[in-house]
Amino acid sequence: MKRDYYTSLARSGLRMPIGTHLLLHQQEDVGAVLLDGVRLGKVIEETARCFRTPLGMPLMDLALEKEELLTALHIPAEKIDSFHFDTAPSSQPDFSLTPRMQATCEAIRYVAAQQDLLPIGMAIGPFSFMTKLVADPIMPVFTAGTGVTADEDPEVELVEKTLKLVQGVILSYLREQIAAGAKAIVVCEPAANKVYFSPNQLAESYEIFDRYVMAPNREIKDLLESNGVDLIFHDCGELTDDMVQRFGTLDPAILSLGSSRVLWEDARLISKNTVLYGNLPSKHFYSDATITTRKVSSIAMELVKKMNEIDHPFILGSECDVLSVPKCEATIREKVDAFMSCDCGSIHSLKVA
Amino acid sequence: MNKIEDLKNAVIAGKRKDVERLIHEVIAEGIPPKTIVDDGLVAAMAVVGEKFKNNEIFVPEMLVAGRAMKSALVILEPLLVQAGIKPKYKALIGTVEGDLHDIGKNLVAMMLKGANIEMIDLGTNVPASKFMEAAEQHKPHLILLSALLTTTMPAMKATVEAVRNSSFKNVKVMVGGAPITQTFANEIHADGYSEDAAEAVDVALALLNPA
Repeated sequence: MKRDYYTSLARSGLRMPIGTHLLLHQQEDVGAVLLDGVRLGKVIEETARCFRTPLGMPLMDLALEKEELLTALHIPAEKIDSFHFDTAPSSQPDFSLTPRMQATCEAIRYVAAQQDLLPIGMAIGPFSFMTKLVADPIMPVFTAGTGVTADEDPEVELVEKTLKLVQGVILSYLREQIAAGAKAIVVCEPAANKVYFSPNQLAESYEIFDRYVMAPNREIKDLLESNGVDLIFHDCGELTDDMVQRFGTLDPAILSLGSSRVLWEDARLISKNTVLYGNLPSKHFYSDATITTRKVSSIAMELVKKMNEIDHPFILGSECDVLSVPKCEATIREKVDAFMSCDCGSIHSLKVA
Repeated sequence: MNKIEDLKNAVIAGKRKDVERLIHEVIAEGIPPKTIVDDGLVAAMAVVGEKFKNNEIFVPEMLVAGRAMKSALVILEPLLVQAGIKPKYKALIGTVEGDLHDIGKNLVAMMLKGANIEMIDLGTNVPASKFMEAAEQHKPHLILLSALLTTTMPAMKATVEAVRNSSFKNVKVMVGGAPITQTFANEIHADGYSEDAAEAVDVALALLNPA
């Protein structure tokens, strides 16, 4: 898509939650829907229409790639969730799409066939993927940041070998989603944050962040760019300003950030070519005692007002995908509806260019 | 006591090799194991907790200090066992059913271990029944529940209910995790809530030693 497609959406006053999980869990048989690409595509379509957006946001499921990789390595299914490498395989296994991934690609094809929706794919980011495969990733990342190399430390070696391994999985899955018709891809890097990277260490040098997070994500960006596919970059973790600025250098069409960030301050860190998305505290929508509907509206109105003042393209939304919590569905939905309808701008119907 | 102070500082700085050397030195000097633990290790982790609360250090530095502390305990443990010294309190910790996140849990476990509480870590995706089985086996004074996903918060509530409906109903229960709030902790009748691993130590000790 041309970049002004996204900036036009932003300037039109578009607002939307990442809401597919909410509508998915209105289905009777969620498990069956996840394995049926057409039905999953219909949920994505219904979500887009429900929230009046042309963006066909997929489900934010960051476990698919781990399942694919470990299945290819013949790890039993019941061990996949909690599996961690002791040593990383040095060669890439042969991947084949899991049933969930096949359904995701089929869903993209379905959405692509809807003339007024933008089909969007999703992948976990390489650093975040690595953290799911290493039992204790924080220590070796910190150690590597002190200059210790993989040759000197087996834990550092494990992290670096795993990073290399996961990159192959991600790129392969991205190619499949692009082939299915994805026009944009959401790359989710929630672990690229201040928990995994000490600000004290980064104050001396961002070399380790650049090596472990930015370099593999640049490779992803290059793949997307060479295929005419846009990057939507998501990181809802606690970040430093320099992390945000670095994400901006990936030139994403949309940068989606968590509620710990002050978006109108982050706008000065990134180009106006990148739309900022977010960042209402949707992780707490489940509880009226924690945040009221009125407060959500108030935060939304302030956010829109401040973003308008600094004139940075912005789409009001949630800090992450809004998860459906059993017995809290109505509470959550009330808050989503509140920010969707609060008096801070108009929404136009748009066609995909 | 200079060597104890050196040991304490080495733990705070996360200098594992120095810690391992100093542990052997303080043992060789005949300093009682309990003194080493209380004045060296527990004191160090208390400083680490304060630094974390004050944003002087962050999670990686906490983990580095925790690892250094653990390496000291490994060396010291035979002496502690021999002297019949064991932690006064015992706690179970786990991430609730449906949730695989463990960083917060691991941090809390490390900090409470640093406060000389015996920790039994049940891992992640722990159903209420497994918490109860572990309670039966270990007879803890405290049970700590972690959740990072809002979708698994009902499992946290169910686990608290299971504890309250059991013979362990008077065991203190603490909860924590990114989506958890004090309000939610109150709603599900947990005894304590902490926003982070450093605060968890204060809350745990307050629950275990009520004024």
